[in-house]
Amino acid sequence: MKLETKLTLFNTLSKLVIVILFVALLPKIIQKINQNFTDNKLRKQRDKLFELIRTSGIKDYTYASYSPLKPEYYSLDEDSTLENLDTIRNEKRKIDGDTIQYRILSYNFKLNNHKYLLEIGKSVDTIGETTTPLQNIAFAILVGMVFLTIIADQLYTSYVLRPLHLIIRTKLIGRKFPNFGSYREVETSTSDFQYLDRSIHEMVETIEKTFQKEREFISNASHEIMTPISIMQSKIENLFESEDVNDDVKVRLLEMQRILNRLKSITKTLLLISQIENDQFLKEDTIGAAEMLNEVYEEISVRLLDKNISYEMDIPADWKFVQVNKFLLFNLFFNLVNNAIKYNKENGSIKVTGSNQNGEYTITVADTGIGIDPENIPVLFDRFKKFRASLEQDSFGLGLPIVRSIANFHGIKINVSSEKNIGTTFTLTFPAGLIEA
Amino acid sequence: MNVLIIEDEKALAQELDIFLTGYNYKCEVCYNGRSASEKIAVNLYDFILIDLGLPDYEGLNLLKETKKTNGEAACIVLTARAEVSDRITGLDLGADDYLAKPFSLPELYSRMQAITRRKFGLKHHMVELGGFAIDLTERTISWGSEVVSAITKKEFDLIAYLLLHKNRTLTRTQLSEHIWGSVVNNDYDSNYIDAHIKNIRKKLSGFAQPDWLETVRGLGYKIKING
Repeated sequence: MKLETKLTLFNTLSKLVIVILFVALLPKIIQKINQNFTDNKLRKQRDKLFELIRTSGIKDYTYASYSPLKPEYYSLDEDSTLENLDTIRNEKRKIDGDTIQYRILSYNFKLNNHKYLLEIGKSVDTIGETTTPLQNIAFAILVGMVFLTIIADQLYTSYVLRPLHLIIRTKLIGRKFPNFGSYREVETSTSDFQYLDRSIHEMVETIEKTFQKEREFISNASHEIMTPISIMQSKIENLFESEDVNDDVKVRLLEMQRILNRLKSITKTLLLISQIENDQFLKEDTIGAAEMLNEVYEEISVRLLDKNISYEMDIPADWKFVQVNKFLLFNLFFNLVNNAIKYNKENGSIKVTGSNQNGEYTITVADTGIGIDPENIPVLFDRFKKFRASLEQDSFGLGLPIVRSIANFHGIKINVSSEKNIGTTFTLTFPAGLIEA
Repeated sequence: MNVLIIEDEKALAQELDIFLTGYNYKCEVCYNGRSASEKIAVNLYDFILIDLGLPDYEGLNLLKETKKTNGEAACIVLTARAEVSDRITGLDLGADDYLAKPFSLPELYSRMQAITRRKFGLKHHMVELGGFAIDLTERTISWGSEVVSAITKKEFDLIAYLLLHKNRTLTRTQLSEHIWGSVVNNDYDSNYIDAHIKNIRKKLSGFAQPDWLETVRGLGYKIKING
């Protein structure tokens, strides 16, 4: 999950929890506030009454009164109870036949040797009257504010995370070693992202330098080796043609030629792999898939005769490779088919099949050969990895490394499945657009 | 034909000289770019073999100079630098062909022959071999009026290559380098040449035994033509 999604999710959830908590607690809180407010008011009314009694005497105030709709209630009476009352309670009073719940302030006091009981009440219904609208308003304001903060959070998060997205999008996604292109600093005031950006850049630079060094080394080394090989090859060829060399010596010269050729092949192959891996080839060719595989067959058909291997090709005639390097792709198929021949059995068969499943194009090269040990499959594409079978075949262990380099260069995925003594299948899965039908 | 060999590796230049002299070319050798530049300005050549990696001279400049003073000369670029860009610039500047080191000497000769044929527009290059007529332009081999159609492209390549180096033995390595030169191969053995030769013999023997196609025991193959 993306960081921004996570943050948004957390923001929303946490605010939702706050809203739920608040909604659950709101009635209680409002009730409490209302009660405190009423109690204070009742006390104030009591104090005001005492003020009046002090100035005007008590007689005029000894009565009970209810306003017509009975929201308030007031009584001042002589009372004989001895206890000192000073409470505010919810009590029921029966007035004119109605039982009404009141919030009542009861207060005992003595004046001129008379004991009085003062009661001031306010109907609970009246107190609760404001609760619902208050709750509604509070709820609405809360929801509004939560909504606003979610939007604000969202905007800010995406603003703050923008450099991170930029770093991911421009520096990580779809970037392929060794070609990263030029460095462009991502503008941000967040030091973490600055650090991240710089670190990625430094790592890329180190990798590029290493690549560049390897590229130069392999290229230089190959050239330096190619020149002496060239001289030796020419000398052997001239010697071979000169008349004063007898046939015995010629046979030995031939041995030398073959060994030199091996050195040459290895050097050429290494140079080619380094050139592919350093993106020194263009991908501008368009060629029919069947046409290319027929060319491979033409090149290689003579090798089938030795073990009487049958070759079957089933590639849709309208398939075209687009934006590929023809030379490289040819070599990829050549090496795969060549291996399928080399590691096949007498009277074996090779099948090259193209298939399209839901727009995913694959070409498989399947043989009925000796198969590959499961433990060898992971290292199959490593340079100079030789297995017992390949040693018998005079192979120098660079065929599959070339295949892999070329496949990587074109974004083709290779899958190997093999069963001992049954055969091996190489499946090439082509990226979208590389094959057009 | 006059050939100028411009190659700073003396040992290689000498071998080129020996080889081409053996094929009746008149060779001059330069070990550096400066003397080559002088020679190009003064003498006329049919072929100029240029090593692009000269220590004292930009090889590509020699190509330009050649175009000015030796317009008729065919230039073949020899280089250990196999980069694709070199190939393109080399040919853009008027090089007629390009050989990456290390190359096989018979291959060099075959390229030179191809250029000669192109330059002088030899329309039908026909060779008569034991009753077979080999048309090197149309790339066909026929018996009387009948074309031996079973011969594949690769097989004809082999015949033509052997024919070009007639009466000389070519090794399997040399032959496979010629016909599979563009393939980056994983195996260094070239026994498949035997299979090709076997096929050629089988296909031709339906008409007549191709005695001219000889196996040189332990060494390779050759096409023998008298005279």
